[in-house]
Amino acid sequence: MEQTVKNPADGAPDYNFAYLDEQTKRMIRRALLKAVAIPGYQVPFAGREMPMPYGWGTGGVQVTAAVIGPNDTLKVIDQGADDTTNAVSIRQFFAKTAQVATTEKTAEASIIQTRHRIPEKELREDQVLVYQVPIPEPLRFLEPRETETRKMHALEEYGLMHVKLYEDIARHGHIATTYAYPVMVDDRYVMDPSPTPKFDNPKMNDMAALQLFGAGREKRIYALPPYTKVKSLDFEDHPFEVQTWEDECGMCGARDSYLDEVILDDQGNRMFVCSDTDYCAERQEAGHRGPQHHDQPLGTADRGKAAE
Amino acid sequence: MTLQSQTSDLLPGFDHAAFDSNAVFRALLDAMSRPGRIYDLPVNVAAPDGLNEAATAALLAMADMDTTVWLSPSCATKSAGDHLKFHCGCPISTDVKQADFAVARIYDDLSFITDLAVGNAEYPDQSATLILMVDEISDHPAMTLSGPGIKDTHSLAIKNLPESFHAWRAENHHLFPCGVDVIFASPTQIAALSRTTRIEVN
Repeated sequence: MEQTVKNPADGAPDYNFAYLDEQTKRMIRRALLKAVAIPGYQVPFAGREMPMPYGWGTGGVQVTAAVIGPNDTLKVIDQGADDTTNAVSIRQFFAKTAQVATTEKTAEASIIQTRHRIPEKELREDQVLVYQVPIPEPLRFLEPRETETRKMHALEEYGLMHVKLYEDIARHGHIATTYAYPVMVDDRYVMDPSPTPKFDNPKMNDMAALQLFGAGREKRIYALPPYTKVKSLDFEDHPFEVQTWEDECGMCGARDSYLDEVILDDQGNRMFVCSDTDYCAERQEAGHRGPQHHDQPLGTADRGKAAE
Repeated sequence: MTLQSQTSDLLPGFDHAAFDSNAVFRALLDAMSRPGRIYDLPVNVAAPDGLNEAATAALLAMADMDTTVWLSPSCATKSAGDHLKFHCGCPISTDVKQADFAVARIYDDLSFITDLAVGNAEYPDQSATLILMVDEISDHPAMTLSGPGIKDTHSLAIKNLPESFHAWRAENHHLFPCGVDVIFASPTQIAALSRTTRIEVN
């Protein structure tokens, strides 16, 4: 039987600008001012229920809603891509509730909300990067009690984190943590950079843009002011280093960007593409070509083939 | 009728609550994340007797029933109190230790600042913010600032800033992560000092 579902948004009373009520925004804004004043410290805030499930960026959405104004241009990425479900729905959410301009171009955005990546293009002073954070406490898997992790941060007691990284070395010969790699902020707070690949960690250091982090389920906000020292934890004899690859992007040929692996068939064929879709598209527009680009002659695309 | 006669001499708040408070907050966020950089007040607001425009705008944008405001004796006029109670609904305390936002003029006796809440080691965010109303903010190199939010250094000058402020601020900086953040509010401009900012007085 056919049913008609009335869209509650049709003819419904208007939302407040950017969905949240003004009192909620003020509460978040006060937390944000404290967060930038104490870089890397997790400020508790009264996180609200949002019209999306936890894990879909409710923290980032609340931070964006508190920061965004009518003249902002919003870009939303999920794992670097503008065209994935999470990114598209959050972009539409703000296009609808705040009627702001949206863009897929990193250079044109004034606010970029991100899940698990930092854009490849260098960010500017007039941009704000908002991270969606699942678990803000870097010590949580080492110490489940919030009362204890609070104390550890208060006392700057981060030995346990170094033990964890050391155990990586003892077991694997190198630090095997590849994402959510802990950082030391301004020589004081150990901070979880959210599950970004450690490839992105160096971009956080001394970044010109303001970086804001929102964790909706855990109800924490933290921040990095521009030009703040962010150092990935390491040891003198095992210095921090980012991943490197032999491969290039199949579409644009980039060798300096973070690559996603795409399985092409069940014969072991695969290709790599930039995880940052805007970076890749911009390079293709500029004429850069990778071996698997559709206007490349057939038969040259053998780089990605698995060794038999 | 009684209500009308009571409210008729009240000044208006923001023209547009959502847009104006957002614009003021963005200026405050920029100021706090780039200490010492000077931002123009992005909106026009009416200031009651006792407060200036930028301080009024900051309170309209940030204060509500969850924040206690303390006004120095020279700011605590009836019209300032009425304005804040009507537009922000914030409790106004005479106990400076209770303050989330403390508002004072630069010519006031600033000895109260040592009583402001600085938070504690586990919750350094439970600290007060000082809104200091000043005549003029400029980038003359009276102070050289460095720290998070500052690329190399920023220059900042606050007209008539007393020596005692610097002594207090140096102590405040050593309390990190605890401490008080300062917002300087001239009638038309704002600048901030985060608790992380290192100040060299020239």
